[in-house]
Amino acid sequence: MILKTENLSKHFGGLHAVDKIDFELEEGEIRGLIGPNGSGKSTFFNLLTGIYRPEVGSRIWINGTETTYSEPHQIAALGVARTFQLLRVFAEMTVLGNLLVGHHLHVKYDSFSAALGTRSTRNQESSLRNEMMELLSFIGLADFAELYASELSVGQRRLLALGRAMAMRPKLLMLDEPAAGLSPVNVDNLLKIILGLKERYGLTVIVVEHILKVVMETCKKVTVLDHGQKISEGSPDHVKSDPAVIEAYLGREMQDEEVREALRA
Amino acid sequence: MRNHSVGLGFFNSSERILNQLKDIHPLIPWVIAALFLTPLPWLVANSYQVFLANTICIMILLSVGLNIVKGFCGQVTVGHIGLYAIGAYTSAVLSVNFGQPFWISLLIAVLITLLAGLVVAVPSFRLEGAYLALVTLGLGESVRIFISVTEYLGATNGFSGVPAPRIGDFRFDTYEKYYYLVMPVMLLGVFFSFQILRSKLGRAFMAVREDPVSAAACGINVKRHKMTAFMISAVYAGFAGGLYAHMIPGYLNPRNFTVIEMVTLLLMVVLGGLGHIWGGIIGAIIVTIVYDITKDYYHYSLLLFGSVIVLTVLFMPRGIGGIIDRFISTRRFIALRSKT
Repeated sequence: MILKTENLSKHFGGLHAVDKIDFELEEGEIRGLIGPNGSGKSTFFNLLTGIYRPEVGSRIWINGTETTYSEPHQIAALGVARTFQLLRVFAEMTVLGNLLVGHHLHVKYDSFSAALGTRSTRNQESSLRNEMMELLSFIGLADFAELYASELSVGQRRLLALGRAMAMRPKLLMLDEPAAGLSPVNVDNLLKIILGLKERYGLTVIVVEHILKVVMETCKKVTVLDHGQKISEGSPDHVKSDPAVIEAYLGREMQDEEVREALRA
Repeated sequence: MRNHSVGLGFFNSSERILNQLKDIHPLIPWVIAALFLTPLPWLVANSYQVFLANTICIMILLSVGLNIVKGFCGQVTVGHIGLYAIGAYTSAVLSVNFGQPFWISLLIAVLITLLAGLVVAVPSFRLEGAYLALVTLGLGESVRIFISVTEYLGATNGFSGVPAPRIGDFRFDTYEKYYYLVMPVMLLGVFFSFQILRSKLGRAFMAVREDPVSAAACGINVKRHKMTAFMISAVYAGFAGGLYAHMIPGYLNPRNFTVIEMVTLLLMVVLGGLGHIWGGIIGAIIVTIVYDITKDYYHYSLLLFGSVIVLTVLFMPRGIGGIIDRFISTRRFIALRSKT
């Protein structure tokens, strides 16, 4: 069990953004997390990564360590990497610099020997750069290594955000809407990269996504949230046919279509 | 066209030699710089210009430190001049009232400035931008006001009689001699800043500046890095203050630590290039010289410097350093083009 939550809740005033969610994730799994807008998916992510403090009574374990009230950087140190819906790449740093920051926890030298410029820190630094360049060519950004992240297109920035997360050498990768704003061709490309990374590094992945194609094609198991509650969980097919999900999410569109058809007839 | 490529050749070969030396040890280029700077007191016209060179060295230390916390770590602190004052007065008091030799009082002054830097770091945990600027401005000003009302520190009359540093019987009691103290310290300070900013620590600072939330998601302890940045910059301010206090005539006055001085210091960093590794150095040299040339009109200096800050921020946000960067990358681009 790489991730487990019990009774996880977060309230904003009277709004129960996340309401008593019990969630379990096996190692090596690739899990989809879907739900309409405002259903609490991003809040759920922010709770898991320590950006929000959960309500009393909630508990989170990552890899067997309880992290309910841990700071974000402590959770990152347990091998959890995430991307953000709004990307949040380091705009005024180079593409390579972004990846090097992602690799921060794995850089072994201390700052004193760096200040003195010892031979070993310099060697580490150059091998580090080579390693990150390799990762950059895997995600297809090697040519842009020296550009500022602010000079990239949105699609490239999405790849960069993914690359930065991968530079952390994570065990658990959490992707918050990785395909938002991408054209269908780019979505396929991104899926290929995500699955490739998963195979190559033996990752566990959680994907929040609006584009159902992404979730349905990549995930063996899907969790559905609505109004902060978990309303369904299972295989994509099971979820698709669950009446609760249809009512909360897929259903409304269908009903609209039915209404339209009825009107047309 | 031909001239242009000859120029490129000279540039490239000297760059290659420099890189090879850097590979042996990164300190070597700075030793070479020290050799080049050694004859300066004989090259300038008079003692006053040596004094100016000393001031530039001290200002470089100060603005390089400020650039670390403000340019690289993104913490808008306007109280840096207060740290400088603490460094200067601590070192002065220790040698005058407690009879400590320069070296010991300088080190203790740096230590105390470092602690003061930690105090300034605390508000940065919760505040940012203009709010942090306001609090740090208050802290810096309160240092100056404290000095100007404390008789023990000479109040508004100033604190005089700070002895010149000495090694055995050799006293650094002229501007020329003092130059050989501040110049090496300045180069060492710049060397360490380059090493730090190009290591993982410098990258972590920039990440904190760009986006604290995603820096934390990358495993960076944001609070600790803010504290480290403030501490490092305070160490620079402490050294600068101590060196300033002991330079002849060995006289300190709270007037030298006002908001106007702070604006001047800000201008150095902004004009040189916020977050540019050379920013503090370029800015300190230019601004100190301009400040000296225009000192007859010093009533207008705030107006001049303030408007230059605004213009720089508007028209060259990455400062002079950023413009030089663009020039170099263009040159590389041309070189690449002509090869293929």
